[in-house]
Amino acid sequence: MTRANQRAGEPLLRIAGVSHRFGGLQVLRGVSFDVPPASLTALIGPNGAGKSTLFNIVSGFLSPQQGAIRFNERDITKDSVQSRGRAGLMRTFQTPQVFRNLSVRENLMMGDYRHLASGITANMLRLRGSRVEMDRLRAKAEEACERFGLREVMDQVAGQVPAGIQRWVELARAWIGGPRLLMLDEPSSGLNTAEIAQLRAALQRLNAEGITILLVSHDMTLVDVAEQVHVLCFGSIIASGAMQQIQQDERVRQAYLGV
Amino acid sequence: MPPWKAALLWGLVLVAWAALPLVASRHIVDLLVFAGLYTIAGLGVAFLLGQCGIVNLAQSMFYGIGAYCVAWFCTVKGLPSVFAVTAGIALSAAIAALVGWPILRLSGYFLALATLALAIIGQVLFLEWDWLTGGTLGIGGIPRIALFGFELDSPQRFYFLVWPIAAVLLLLHHNLLHSRNGLALRSMRDAPEAAAALGVDLHRLKVQMFVLSAMLGSLAGSLFAHYVTFVSVDSFAVDRAISFLLLAVLGGVTTVWGPVLGALFITLLPQWLSRLGDVHAVVFALALIAAVILLPEGFGGAIRNRLRARAVK
Amino acid sequence: MDLTLLLQSIVTGVTNGFIYGLVGLGLAAIFRGTRIINAMQGDFALIGGIAAVLLLEKLAWPVWAAFFAAVFVGGAAGWLMELLLVRPLRRRGGSEESYLLLTLGVAFAVSALVLYVVGRDSHALPGIGGDGIVVVGDVAIRIHALWLVSIAVAVMLALRVFFGKTALGLSMMAAALDAEGALTTGIDVPLMRTLTFALGGLVGGLAGVLVGPLVTVYFDMGLLLTLKGFAAAILGGLANPMGAVVGGVTLGLLESLAIVMVSSGYKDVVAMAILIVIMIAMPNGLLGRRLRKGG
Repeated sequence: MTRANQRAGEPLLRIAGVSHRFGGLQVLRGVSFDVPPASLTALIGPNGAGKSTLFNIVSGFLSPQQGAIRFNERDITKDSVQSRGRAGLMRTFQTPQVFRNLSVRENLMMGDYRHLASGITANMLRLRGSRVEMDRLRAKAEEACERFGLREVMDQVAGQVPAGIQRWVELARAWIGGPRLLMLDEPSSGLNTAEIAQLRAALQRLNAEGITILLVSHDMTLVDVAEQVHVLCFGSIIASGAMQQIQQDERVRQAYLGV
Repeated sequence: MPPWKAALLWGLVLVAWAALPLVASRHIVDLLVFAGLYTIAGLGVAFLLGQCGIVNLAQSMFYGIGAYCVAWFCTVKGLPSVFAVTAGIALSAAIAALVGWPILRLSGYFLALATLALAIIGQVLFLEWDWLTGGTLGIGGIPRIALFGFELDSPQRFYFLVWPIAAVLLLLHHNLLHSRNGLALRSMRDAPEAAAALGVDLHRLKVQMFVLSAMLGSLAGSLFAHYVTFVSVDSFAVDRAISFLLLAVLGGVTTVWGPVLGALFITLLPQWLSRLGDVHAVVFALALIAAVILLPEGFGGAIRNRLRARAVK
Repeated sequence: MDLTLLLQSIVTGVTNGFIYGLVGLGLAAIFRGTRIINAMQGDFALIGGIAAVLLLEKLAWPVWAAFFAAVFVGGAAGWLMELLLVRPLRRRGGSEESYLLLTLGVAFAVSALVLYVVGRDSHALPGIGGDGIVVVGDVAIRIHALWLVSIAVAVMLALRVFFGKTALGLSMMAAALDAEGALTTGIDVPLMRTLTFALGGLVGGLAGVLVGPLVTVYFDMGLLLTLKGFAAAILGGLANPMGAVVGGVTLGLLESLAIVMVSSGYKDVVAMAILIVIMIAMPNGLLGRRLRKGG
């Protein structure tokens, strides 16, 4: 799924020497890898390998004890979660974090929050700019609902739609603002085989449109769609490459079977 | 509900509201004026609690600042009311921003108790700085507000000032809730991490809401001063802050108009119970406990849910 | 500065500090046991104090009997509160704010009830050892104060032993740390929670009986005590009951010294400002334990 005009030069995301420990446990040891723009990269590894911790560090929920993160040619290691989001680094969560009391449409509207500008006073006075903004946002959200097959549940309260649909809501919400990097944390957990196939197709489509995707997953059919796979085991990257290479790698086999 | 029916209903409500002071006793209208003042102050507390999950017990301090600004600027300095009210709002906003910035990083209990500590600081300072506030002796002779040539020197007249103001503020908050920032507030309530990941500056939003709440408290306090024409520290103690919180919880924080019900409750109930002496405080506290356990969305929320259930049928 | 004045205020500070510490200890114990911050902890002191007042004045009980009974009334209040109010809220899925509002509501209810039944007057309680004073150098120390400190320290040590060595205490700790695990080992977790509140009530009631002779018992003494106890608890590390006593003494000393330097009317402003600063600057307390997040 590589784009013909993939940019040479610095990757979109560079993780450099990230180490982190929780109490007595060294969770990440000097993890480094790159995510090139417009690529579809996957991060796999046995449970407890540190994948979620790494995700939290890259998205800003955790500050690494060592190492640096570069995004879009900027060092973002010290940036807040909000500023990373505003820079176009979008993520989903292991358990879908939809806004439970908002409708599905409103959830998607929130996805474009960072591009909105109206202030509180303008909002209160329902000034023209504020209203126009909301109308545009609503239309955009409805389009996104169409695209992601959420039209039927558009008006339903997000907390009450089935968990599988909530995953799509989260994905659509992360996509709607035009992310530079889409980080998906176990997007397939809780989905059945048919839904996973749909997700796989959706990811391929998104990537074909040029969206860079970094994926953490247990599901091999999903990971199969990635052009580059990194294997994280006990806090270190033990193998990187295309799916076939990885599957034949001795260390990887040991990690998965021997653990 | 078809629009003509809704319009008719609103029309009736409006007529009933306007007719009330003409038929009710002066005493009752007086209580209704207070209900209006408390609606304004309580709206601030309710909005903060409902949208940000923040228990704000410092509202009495801002209420006092608004009142004392009017007392001092109008009575002592002879400046026009508009100036005094604005000064109060500006001062309250500044203090809320300054103090809010660090303490709103705290969460839950810490924050609530910090606001309570703030209320106590306010109460003591109002007492100790008697060169400014008159201490327990207070400041009297506060001039009345004059509008369109009418001096608002009676409950009936003030009624027609305070309730339109309250209604406008409720409308503004309704608009806010259905706007981009309102969306951010509601999402912050539901899943703060996801909201942050989408670019919402949680802390800044909380501070803004705290400042807004303080401005409402100050406005209510300023109007209060112009209404009663005499203010002293007793009106700005912690129990005032507790009343505001109480009316917010009872009225319900999940609807914008909940505070109206809460305010009516806390002003009219003591009247009803007055034969039994000072028991209303106990009743209020028990009502708060009951509301928290049994009716967490308050009267307003319960009514709204009932209406919704009926609409579904 | 006058040395005598300084020493005298240190004595006052330490005495008050142990009261704050006791209140804080109860707060910390309840927090550790149930993750709830009891905003009416200071009102347990009011309950204990008023119970003692009523027993002494209306029923003419002997002092020691009244004091003991008052402490148990505090414990009973804690027991009832958990059983009748906290549990139903828990069953209905209480959010953090709702527990806070509940305990605040109870605080107001207790205060309002005392106001209604007993009135606005403050009531004096006889101190232990009456009004006797011991004079050391130029400094006067009430015998009651000495008893206060001793009792507080004894309680602190007793609780340490209780939680560390006795079966019941260990069960309560287990239930607090890992409710599910404790259930599987046969510990009655809901009962442990009720007992935690009862313990908080006992300690709170004791604080009331001890502070009553110093400042008299009056209907709105609870809130300020709660806040100062909270400050003490935070200073000591919120889930650390022993630390709360240390925190309390620290707070008491700071407050006393501030009074000496500024006027006494600002005493509460100082204490509240200290509380806010502590919350912002050192939420993990002096002893620096890594457990915050406001409960």
